[in-house]
Amino acid sequence: MSIMSTPRLAPTRPARSLLARSLQTPPRSARALRLEFKRNAVPYVLPLLAAVFYFNAVRTADGFPPVWTLRASTIPDQMLFEFTAFAGGLAAWAGSRDGRRKTVDLVAATPRPAWARQGIALAGSLGWLLLAYLAGVAVLYVQTALQATWGGPPLWPVFVGAAGVTAVAVIGFTCGVFFPGRFTAPLVAIGVLVLYQTGFREALGVTATSGTYALLSPATNPPGVDAGVYHHAAPDLSIVQVMFMGGIAVALVGVLGLAPELRQLASARSLGSPRAALARGDGWLLRAVAVILVGSGVAASSTAFALAGTAKPDAAGGWEIPALHSAAGDRSVPATQDCTSSSGFQICVHPAFGFYLDALAAALDPVAAEIAGLPGVPAGAREVASVSGGQDVQSGIAANPAVFEFTAEHVGTMFGQFLGNGQDPVGWREGFQQGLLDAFLTGRAPHAGPGPAPLGPAQQAVEDALLTAVRSRPLNPGATSAGLSAAAQRFAALPASARRAWLAALLAALRAGTITPAQIP
Amino acid sequence: MTAAEVLKPPPAPAGAAWRGRYGLRLVWLHLRSRRVPSGILALAVCGALLHVALHWHWAFNSGPYAQQVPLIIEAGAATVIAVTAHSPFGETERSAGRWLPYLRLLAAIGMCGLAIALLQLGAAGQSLNEGIVVLARNVVGITGIGLLCSVVTGALLAWTLPMGYMLFCQYALLQSWTAPWTWPVRPPADRGAWICACAVAAAGLLLFTVRGPRSRLGDAS
Repeated sequence: MSIMSTPRLAPTRPARSLLARSLQTPPRSARALRLEFKRNAVPYVLPLLAAVFYFNAVRTADGFPPVWTLRASTIPDQMLFEFTAFAGGLAAWAGSRDGRRKTVDLVAATPRPAWARQGIALAGSLGWLLLAYLAGVAVLYVQTALQATWGGPPLWPVFVGAAGVTAVAVIGFTCGVFFPGRFTAPLVAIGVLVLYQTGFREALGVTATSGTYALLSPATNPPGVDAGVYHHAAPDLSIVQVMFMGGIAVALVGVLGLAPELRQLASARSLGSPRAALARGDGWLLRAVAVILVGSGVAASSTAFALAGTAKPDAAGGWEIPALHSAAGDRSVPATQDCTSSSGFQICVHPAFGFYLDALAAALDPVAAEIAGLPGVPAGAREVASVSGGQDVQSGIAANPAVFEFTAEHVGTMFGQFLGNGQDPVGWREGFQQGLLDAFLTGRAPHAGPGPAPLGPAQQAVEDALLTAVRSRPLNPGATSAGLSAAAQRFAALPASARRAWLAALLAALRAGTITPAQIP
Repeated sequence: MTAAEVLKPPPAPAGAAWRGRYGLRLVWLHLRSRRVPSGILALAVCGALLHVALHWHWAFNSGPYAQQVPLIIEAGAATVIAVTAHSPFGETERSAGRWLPYLRLLAAIGMCGLAIALLQLGAAGQSLNEGIVVLARNVVGITGIGLLCSVVTGALLAWTLPMGYMLFCQYALLQSWTAPWTWPVRPPADRGAWICACAVAAAGLLLFTVRGPRSRLGDAS
């Protein structure tokens, strides 16, 4: 039997078993990633991160009413802050592993390129961090879903937070690769936190005239209480932020791919021969990909930076970027208001604030009963959007039909009323009562612009008396002068019918400001 | 020729001078093995960062936000001290001599004092919210937390717990907490805050001095 006549069945068996084995066993990178997940330092820190998340993000979100846009603002404002510290530090820790252990030269001899090894280490850290981040988002959103009465979860804040965590982790990892050492992790954590706080400070003071580049910072003031309720929250700024942070991450991943060449350039021996270092025959494809990534990342970040500079305030109180803005998003969000009229005084609010309806009725009904039947008295109260044409809307009595209109932000001289009534329910109730009486006694219509002027002395005395009559206390500290207090006490001591008769006769003069406290019976 | 001369011990140097010279060498080797010179450089970086942050008004001048950036940097200095506690020798060093606990104590206290001095130098000529007293209290207390953490996680990951505490205190700052164990929030002369910060620092120093940092967990990652 010659070699040529050897049956061909023999070699097929190992081939088949090899194929079967390759199908059963995961690829090498998957195994390396599994090992990286097992040995990564992030899980050790997860309990600590969870505790900080509870105190910082969950408790802050609990302090807001269950309105989706408002609650979601805690993701870039609070969650990202705490994740920033640990993402930067732990990624730097993972990145500095080879350098810390002095094994850079040892692993350089392995067949895998350094980029692949570093990519697996980065993916391990980033995977854990993003899992923890998404778990945190799920906690916030599930809690909000159980309490909210209207709307759905906004996704752009989640994308901004994920881009932030990714960018910070890649920054930390790159610092760890290039500056390995025991101090790298804490210093990176501190550095990114200071950067975050600096961005926050700049974003707080940003105006259209002072330059809008600080809008790239994901941290800023919480939005208005009814942001995203009457109008869609424009995603323009979120898109730019994701583009900016994603660009930084992509560029730094590219820099990691060039790490061996950059190290070679930095070493004294090859200083002055960058061309030789970059034009080495081996791994040119990887280097080309790395250079393309660096270029793409820089281009994305630069574009985002330029776009942020063109931002301008929009009509709903947010920011719009003309190149990204969609006119379809400017349409108001349709919704049928939730109403109640248990005592004939109808009160309507947006369904997103339906949970305030009973408390509002309890606050406004006694005052409405006190002034019922007087000329110009409102037939009900209605909540409207707090921003119109980019300006704050102040409460007042709208004509045809006469309805007291207030917003989630402004009721009389009070602001932020719909942020919550848990801390001071009595003050919250009296704020609404005073807002209704302010509008009634001045005859002021709702308007966009600065806050209302204070009441005149006689108006204030009558308001204090009416508040006293419904067993509330006046909130205005200006009502402490002796003459004004005496007039208020006199008027409050009158029978309800006498008060009503005096008001019916002299309400027009009272609104015109021609009555003095001394003339009040 | 006899072996008498060989067997004779070499002449010992004069007592105090010998002890002083070798003592200094021991201290220097201990500090070098803990990368204390690099740690001092890192503390100087923290001081410079504080100076830049105050000079360029990265922090707010007043209100609850004013303490945020200084607190981050003070916590950074404290984490550097905690990370300096790592020994590359582990168990073997413990059996080598009886001076190790004293050297640990000396290094930790010295670094703490140096951190306060360098941060104060960074804040010199600038308006530091709540002043040097709160700065010192924060550094001392958070260093104690870091040293306690090093006993559990190993010194290389001992920056994590101080970082978590600092993040929590950022929340406490904005919420105006008054509990003394949130000492960065309290005013400079608050006795309870001082007691808490010093107690944590003392506990950290004591445990760190006696037991030393853990040498496995942090290194294995």
